[in-house]
Amino acid sequence: MRLETLGFTNVIDYVPGKLAWFEENQPREGKASDETWIGDVADADVPTCGLRERLGDVRARTADWDTCVVVSSERVVLGLLRKAELEGDPNATAEQVMRSGPKTFRPNVTLEELLKSMRDHDIQTNSLVTTGEGKLLGVISRADAEATLAHNGAETAPGI
Amino acid sequence: MPSQVFSVSEVKQLLAQGAQLVDVLGADEFERDHLPGAINIPLKQLDNGAVADLDRKRPVLVYCNDFG
Repeated sequence: MRLETLGFTNVIDYVPGKLAWFEENQPREGKASDETWIGDVADADVPTCGLRERLGDVRARTADWDTCVVVSSERVVLGLLRKAELEGDPNATAEQVMRSGPKTFRPNVTLEELLKSMRDHDIQTNSLVTTGEGKLLGVISRADAEATLAHNGAETAPGI
Repeated sequence: MPSQVFSVSEVKQLLAQGAQLVDVLGADEFERDHLPGAINIPLKQLDNGAVADLDRKRPVLVYCNDFG
């Protein structure tokens, strides 16, 4: 049965659905509100740069960060510069040295799930959080993920 | 008014205009997480009784899990 058959004349379908809403880092209600999703804690202040920027210019404004995300004008992730790339030839462009297609996580992944993935794959560096369409929301470091989860008291088996 | 919307901004605009938001997923899934302000009417339970609280004069925006 459909709403239209029950006398509703103005029924609109949000086609992408619930998962797409959460992948856009939009608010939620329900039991999951008690969980920490990585979109809740991702650091949006991570430095970004464009494809044609020179490493020397990028390095000058990345300050203490060892990560810079290469993004489009729409903030879609194109690549990643880690410490090794940032310390390279200052005249090289981001496009020439970036790591293409970096692994990204959606904002509705729980912090526990992300941390498990980091542990399983021995990831110590920043993980990128993007919307379903690839727009950068922020990054989470392994250290921050560990600290946040410990602070939340979510870990029930210390030492794992 | 469109019969389908695809973006978050369209959803927010419709809600601001007074649309009623209906989650047609199962109750367990709804309890776990849903869009703010949604009411749950599982598709399998859709009948006149289930929609008694909805206003037929206002738009109804429905969603399920994802495409398809």
